[in-house]
Amino acid sequence: MQRVLSAIFSREPYSASRNLFISAIFWLVVGTSFGLLASTQFDMPDALSGVAQLSFGRLRPVHVNTVLIGWLSMGYIACMMYIIPVLSGRKGMWSERLGNITMVLWNLVMATGILTILNGDTEGREYAELAGTIHIGHTSIQVLDWAVLIGLLTVGINAWMTVLTGTEKKWYVSIWYFLGALFWFPIVYIIGNRGFVQLPGLDDAITNWFYGHNILGMWFTVGGIGIMYYLIPRFTGNPLYSHTLSMIGFWTIGMFYAPTGTHHLLQSPLPEWLKSVAVISSVFLLVPVLTVLTNFFMTMKGKWSAAADHIALRFAIFGGVGYLLTCIQGPFQATRSVNWYIHFTNWVVGHAHLALFGTFSFFVFAASYYIIPRVTGRKMYSKPLAVWHFWLVALGIIIMVLDLVIAGLVQAAGWHAGIPVDQWVVELVPYWWIRSFSGVMIVFGSALYMFNVYKTVFHPEQCEALPHSPTGVVYV
Amino acid sequence: MRINYLVAGGFVVLIFCVIIYVVTVLPAATFHPVPTAAAHRYTPKELAGRNIYRREGCFYCHSQFVRYQDRGAGEMVQAGDYMFETPNVLGTERTGPDLSNVGGKYPDEWHRAHHRDPRRVKPGSIMPSFSYLSDNDLDNLIAYLQTLGAGRKLPSWVSPPQEIRDEYERIKSHVNVDSSAAANAGRGIFMQNCSVCHGVHAEGNGPISLTMETKPANFTRPFYKNYSDAMWFWRVKEGLPGTRMPRWGLTLGNEQMLYLVAYLKTLPQDSMPAGKEIHSLNQIDNPHVLDQNFKTITGLMKESGNRYGTSRNEGVHE
Repeated sequence: MQRVLSAIFSREPYSASRNLFISAIFWLVVGTSFGLLASTQFDMPDALSGVAQLSFGRLRPVHVNTVLIGWLSMGYIACMMYIIPVLSGRKGMWSERLGNITMVLWNLVMATGILTILNGDTEGREYAELAGTIHIGHTSIQVLDWAVLIGLLTVGINAWMTVLTGTEKKWYVSIWYFLGALFWFPIVYIIGNRGFVQLPGLDDAITNWFYGHNILGMWFTVGGIGIMYYLIPRFTGNPLYSHTLSMIGFWTIGMFYAPTGTHHLLQSPLPEWLKSVAVISSVFLLVPVLTVLTNFFMTMKGKWSAAADHIALRFAIFGGVGYLLTCIQGPFQATRSVNWYIHFTNWVVGHAHLALFGTFSFFVFAASYYIIPRVTGRKMYSKPLAVWHFWLVALGIIIMVLDLVIAGLVQAAGWHAGIPVDQWVVELVPYWWIRSFSGVMIVFGSALYMFNVYKTVFHPEQCEALPHSPTGVVYV
Repeated sequence: MRINYLVAGGFVVLIFCVIIYVVTVLPAATFHPVPTAAAHRYTPKELAGRNIYRREGCFYCHSQFVRYQDRGAGEMVQAGDYMFETPNVLGTERTGPDLSNVGGKYPDEWHRAHHRDPRRVKPGSIMPSFSYLSDNDLDNLIAYLQTLGAGRKLPSWVSPPQEIRDEYERIKSHVNVDSSAAANAGRGIFMQNCSVCHGVHAEGNGPISLTMETKPANFTRPFYKNYSDAMWFWRVKEGLPGTRMPRWGLTLGNEQMLYLVAYLKTLPQDSMPAGKEIHSLNQIDNPHVLDQNFKTITGLMKESGNRYGTSRNEGVHE
């Protein structure tokens, strides 16, 4: 017990990063399993009927919140707590113990959040369901929202103090991205989860989607790009292609992402100016996306073949290509004429999975295969397991996205021809089975990944020592 | 150097704050639509039902958001409909039908059976069973569902979508669909394109109808006399989903479709009750006369309904 507690509240350098990675990967397996369970309800609607906690309407928010807050956000913070100290010339964060307290707090939030949502305590706003409502007199307080926010603020303070107390005075671009993300996300989170202002219907929808889109734009995108700007030069040994491009990308993300949320409500009776602002800024997102990707791929120049042997690089490249596809699809489907057709269909579900799993999760996979060996000083337990992990999740997400895109087009045709739902729903059954199949691949791949990380962290004696490399390029 | 960074950073933070202000605070401050008839102040019971709707995540599959282009979902929503909807349940993905206008469409008993075992009521549905809800919860939920769209005053359950109504308004001046000239032109188009299924007398008995599982419509049935011009135009333009009625909008021009509408309006009604004006039914080529006849006939039908009613009552008395 003493040993466990001292590992959890450790002051050892990079222990927060390690602990956060372990938690994040655990929530990845939990979150994707909930997603799989939810998807089987499309195939066999009566299989789990009669259990309130296992009905689709409750499993879906659990899936979404676990992968967003539990897996991706914790994974991002794990990456930051390694990359920020390294880049600012410190050994470990300003306060590793504070980082570990954040870790414990967020784990408690996730565990409580899953239980409360399953038992019907939800905020009822998409992407922002975490509530943990407590009633004191006539006011209700959403404890979990505040806990997430406090966690974010502690990370923010920790990151700033690390940067300011570090020896390196020149900020590498990743630090810009991380500090930007840690500045923007709390603002977006407060606006999206505000329990203190109740707005009437459509205004509520506007702020709901301001949050729903900007948790992607101002947090997952900004943080993920920061991670990749650190990893790709490390993986390839090439210097970053252009610092100017990376800065253009940073500021244009800040400018163009914030107003895009209303493109989720394009056909609703909202003010037209707001929709136009959303559509125009969505299309302008191509500017940061293309600068970022130009930078990634030009930095890769001459080193593409390394992906044959370098698993982490392989994840990074897949994530980069996923980012390209997501961000071409995104502005495309945000335009009025395309949105007119594909809104309300599974196409959008496919897009969300491509962004959050096919892109940002792959960034975290890549980072974890790089960072975990450096934190533990050991190579990953098994390279074949990592290869299996790659192919299972990569093929899984490809199958899932293609399947959902096609299903979305079938569904859109059904809506637009005015065919009653119970007639076209039977046409989608094969697609839903394929989605569940791809879900099995992803959950299985994630479980292998968790096992691999578990062995590396908890049984270092079974792993090879990490060789020292003068160039900093180590193939895991 | 450091000062420059600070100024630039402050400037960017300022711009970011302005953007957030414009997209979140400004709409909340300036966008106050007038509540419409469909905006509903919920009673405590209905509010409890609405909370169950939210708690069970109904809005993940059911939108409450009829768009301009939606077919068969009833009247389009207006901004003022949502004034009492907090938090919003607009929805983003539709695996089930839109529920904006579901209130009053089905009886409470239907909803109760449907929530307990959806597939017994709608085969092929994939809605989860809500058999775990208590009777009280289910009552509240149904009370809420029955309020949806209650104030919208639907003219009928199937009406042309707003998009088609607008289009019809735009093009209707091209052809006078009440003129016999247009109806004559439409008759030719009908004979060439429609009669093979609907029959030369539009009774739904054309030669190909033999092969069809869902038989073509018999336009002489009284039901079709209630069709508005826009409704005829919609059915001609977009066909009838789920049947083999094609989308003639892909083949015919707007004017040709309007001629067809003009012709379809003139078709006679079968099983007309014999009345004193029976001779006038022969003058079907003149739609105005038909219209007058139609009014007379509906009057007669009402009268006969009353007569039957009284006779039944008399029977009871006896």
